[in-house]
Amino acid sequence: MILRIEGLVKNYGDVRALDGLNLEVKQGQVYGFLGPNGAGKSTTILGTVGLIFPQKGRIELFGTEVFNEGKYDENTLVEAKKKIGYMPEHATLWDFLTPVQTLDIIGEAFKIPKAERSKKIEEVLKLVGLWEVKNKKVGNFSKGMKQRLLLAQSLINDPDFLILDEPMTGLDPSGIAEFKNVIRDLNKEGKTVFFSSHILAHVEEICDTVGVIVKGKIRLEGNLETIKREFLQKAGYTIILETTRKVSFEDAEWKVTPLGEKKYRIVTSHDIREELHDFVASQGAKILTMQVKEPTLEEIFIQMVE
Amino acid sequence: MMWGFKLEFKQNLRTKKFWLIIVIMAVLYIPSFYFMKSFFLQSGEHITNEAAMSMLINSITGMTSFFVAILALLIGATAINSEIEKGTLRIAMSKPIKRLHYIGGKFLAHCLVLLIALLFSTIVSLLGILYLGGSFTTQLVVDVFLLNMLLLLAMIQLVALGYIISTVIKSSNTALGLAIILMFVIFMIVPSIVNFLAIKNTANSPNANIEEMQKLQKEYTTKYLFYDPISQVKVITEDVSTTLSKNPRDILNVRYNGVAYAIRNNLTNFAHIIWLTILYLSIGFYRFVKMDLR
Repeated sequence: MILRIEGLVKNYGDVRALDGLNLEVKQGQVYGFLGPNGAGKSTTILGTVGLIFPQKGRIELFGTEVFNEGKYDENTLVEAKKKIGYMPEHATLWDFLTPVQTLDIIGEAFKIPKAERSKKIEEVLKLVGLWEVKNKKVGNFSKGMKQRLLLAQSLINDPDFLILDEPMTGLDPSGIAEFKNVIRDLNKEGKTVFFSSHILAHVEEICDTVGVIVKGKIRLEGNLETIKREFLQKAGYTIILETTRKVSFEDAEWKVTPLGEKKYRIVTSHDIREELHDFVASQGAKILTMQVKEPTLEEIFIQMVE
Repeated sequence: MMWGFKLEFKQNLRTKKFWLIIVIMAVLYIPSFYFMKSFFLQSGEHITNEAAMSMLINSITGMTSFFVAILALLIGATAINSEIEKGTLRIAMSKPIKRLHYIGGKFLAHCLVLLIALLFSTIVSLLGILYLGGSFTTQLVVDVFLLNMLLLLAMIQLVALGYIISTVIKSSNTALGLAIILMFVIFMIVPSIVNFLAIKNTANSPNANIEEMQKLQKEYTTKYLFYDPISQVKVITEDVSTTLSKNPRDILNVRYNGVAYAIRNNLTNFAHIIWLTILYLSIGFYRFVKMDLR
């Protein structure tokens, strides 16, 4: 087990950011940590890397306890951090340094020998596409370039566990595609990746496991297929009937809104496609077209919150 | 610890406020020495070595206690919160570095930056003394070193006070504003009020004289301005030389006692600088080690 969080509680004043959060990330996983803004994603990550002090709970990294009931074991945490790469959200790097200088000073924090450090810097900068601008000041970089450098600094120590907080914010579509490729390649090398996002499209394709956090608790967890099935269960259907008779939905258990003479909108809390076909057929009608509208992640979040 | 030191030192030498303070000091020193020289030439008096050393100590103390003190408080007040705002602290502290080592390194870098500012001020003053006709002696070198250490200690107290502000106030702009207000109210206005009270109380006494007033000023400063390292340093450096003339404006007729003598003679003031520095540093470091870095 790479990361195990048990019953983590974090309050910021009167606001409960984490409410007994439980989470597990296994070796080799690409774990997508989804949730609306303010759900507790960043707080979870900050707690994992020891940047905040939760009030309660336990955190284990690489099978060793680093936090228990309000206290970090700093020596153990420092040891664990040697194997972690962390990319924070909304961060800038030191404006007066170049990418090479930035990675050099970060490499020094990991006590990587000078010669090995230079090699690693070249490798990482090439990977994120910043080798061409290696000697330019970071202060002159665009948002996208800064994001790439943030990713680069998280890779300098060749980490076993990569923690990325909203890593695709500020990247253009091609940047996002490249980023996804980098994640895939790193995962193929055996690295475990944990990254947060509030956009479902960002976690699709690359994550094998997804956890949805709402109000400081994991509300949904599993592989992406399971999550999608959950999404479909809360779907809305628009149907157009082929019939000469009027179909009555009075006995139906679902919420039905007529949109026209033969067109209806049906909202349910579970998958009713088969039931719906049978229900319509029992009245001598047939469904001509059926559109299933998957709710957006935001809609799901809102439903969960409600 | 050296990792935090290197990073912070590089960063500080690139800040505008550091270079601005250095430039302002240079700009103010040059005309002040020029006017002093003109004054001596006009009065036709020759400057003695003792008077030159006394003037040197006074000019370094006066100039640095104002400008380097501002720099010290500003550096401290934005040390943590500005890094949290930028996000660089989250990056630094996610690396295998202990919090105490990081803040320790940062503190050492701040001390070095302040020492550079102090040395700059000292070098300019020494050149000024040579320009006025004074000369280098072993005691001068020893005393300049001692004075710089004393001033550095006072400036460290302000940096440490800044650390507390920086860990309490999240916005670096608000912290900067508070530091400037503190500088003016606590370190300029309140000392003026205390001085005024000393003068007023001396004037009310039946046998009022200059010595009485200076004694009362010293007593009040020690008692009511113990939290102000600049005032404490001034009390100490006043004993570096003794005016032999009855006329207090006769700055050339002095007996030079030395910085070591002045410190020995004002151990309470020296102790005030030390214990408050240790207290502020302990609070600042403790807060940093225990705070949420978000």
